[in-house]
Amino acid sequence: MGPGIPSTAIFTLNKEDHTLGNLLRSQLLKNPRVLFAGYKVPHPLVPKVELRVQTDGEIAPKEAVTTACNELVKDLGILSREFTKEYELRKMVGATQQQQPNGNPDGQ
Amino acid sequence: MDYEMDIEPTGPQVTVREAEPYRVDFKLSSVDLSFANSLRRTILSEIPTMAIDLVEVEKNTSVLPDEFLAHRLGLIPLNSRNCDQDVEYTRDCDCEDHCARCSVTLTLYARCTVEDVMHVHARDLIVSGERANEWVGNPVVTDAQGLGPLICKLRRGQELKMTCIAKKGIAKEHAKWAPTAAIGFEYDPHNNLKHVDYWYEEDPAKEWPPSHNAGWEAPAPPDQPFDYDAEPNNFYLDVESIGNLEPDMIVQQGISVLQRKLASIISSLSGTEGADRNGIVDDDMMGVRSPDAYEPPEGIDGGFTSYAGGGASAWGASAATPYGATPYGAGGFGF
Repeated sequence: MGPGIPSTAIFTLNKEDHTLGNLLRSQLLKNPRVLFAGYKVPHPLVPKVELRVQTDGEIAPKEAVTTACNELVKDLGILSREFTKEYELRKMVGATQQQQPNGNPDGQ
Repeated sequence: MDYEMDIEPTGPQVTVREAEPYRVDFKLSSVDLSFANSLRRTILSEIPTMAIDLVEVEKNTSVLPDEFLAHRLGLIPLNSRNCDQDVEYTRDCDCEDHCARCSVTLTLYARCTVEDVMHVHARDLIVSGERANEWVGNPVVTDAQGLGPLICKLRRGQELKMTCIAKKGIAKEHAKWAPTAAIGFEYDPHNNLKHVDYWYEEDPAKEWPPSHNAGWEAPAPPDQPFDYDAEPNNFYLDVESIGNLEPDMIVQQGISVLQRKLASIISSLSGTEGADRNGIVDDDMMGVRSPDAYEPPEGIDGGFTSYAGGGASAWGASAATPYGATPYGAGGFGF
C-alpha cells in the first residue's frame, strides 16, 4: 500500500505521462474525500507516472482513482457530444452564408 | 455526486467559432486547465494516423541518397480516415511481417526521359494491393494543381523505383504521424489570473497587443482586488489539420484516445483484485518494473515505453526494441 501511511497508495502508471498524471491529479482533488493527490514523472526519459493518493479513510485510494476515471470518461463523453452538436451547427451556418453572397460580415 | 460542483454543473461546454476544411477553432468552457491541456496533448501526440515507415529502394539514381528520400517519404501526409478502427498496429497484427490489415503499400516509379528537370510529387505514389479501407494511404493533395508535396527532382536518365510500406502510428513515436500542423491553445487572454509575467520595456499593455481571443472575455477591473482562488475555465483551441484527418475527427479521436486510456486504468484497477496490491497499472504487462523510482529499467533497453511493443523488428533479426517493432534497430533511445 505504499508509504506505510494509512489510506495512502502510490499508483504507477507505466507508459503514461503528464497527460494522464495531471488530469487524474486535478480530478482527484475535486473529491472532498481525497486529502492528497499528487503525481510525478520520476525521470523524463522513463515513461512512467507515479500518482500518490491519500484519502480520509472512508474510501480506498483505489476507489477514488476509479471514481475519478469514471467521471473523466463521462465528461469526455459529454464533450464529444457537445462538440459534434456545435460543429454540425457551425457547418450549417457556414453553408448558408456561402449560399447568399455578401452574407458573411466578417468574411476573409 | 456529493462533490462541490462549483465549476462543472453541466459538464464541458463547446462553442465552435470557425470550421474550415482544415481547421476548427473552438472555445472549451466549464472544464479545468488539466482537462483542456490533456485534450491538447492527446491531440498533439497520440492520435493514430498513417505514414510511410519502411521503404524498399529498388533503384535510385537521383541526386538524393536513399535515406534522404526515405525520410522525405515518411513525412508525406497520407489519408488516415477511420484508421483507428480499420487498421491494426503492425506490432499487434497476427501477420508475419505486415499485411493489408496493418499496412498500405505504395509504389513509386519515376524515370526522367526528357531534357528538362522532372518533378516527382506525392501524387506519383500509387497504392498497390489490398488495404483496410478505400481512403487509407492515399497521399494528401491540397494544392490547386493536384500534385502534392515534391519528393525529388530528376534529370534525364535518372530513375526512382521504390516500394513504401505505410503503417499506423502515433506522433509520440515519430512526428510524421502527427495529425495536426499546430494547435492553438490560449486561456485568460487578459492575464487576469497573472499566470504570465510579461516582459516589457516600458508598458506591457502597449507592447503586448491583445490576442484575438481578448474580445471573448472581459478584463478584470483595475480597482478589483486580485482573486487568489480564481481558476481558468475558458480555453480557446485552434486545431489545424494536415489533411490526413478531418479537423472534427481529430478532436473526436483525441477525446476517445483519452477515454480509452482512462478505461484501461479502470479495468486494471478493477480487474485482478489481489494481483495489483501495489497499485500497478500496466496495460499489457510488458516491460520490467524497476524497484527504484529513479533507476532506468534494466539498462536502457529492457523496459517499457509509451509506444507499446514486442515483436520482431522490421529487419527480421534483432528482436524487440523498447519502441516495439520499430525498424530503427535495437537498443538506445532510437530517436
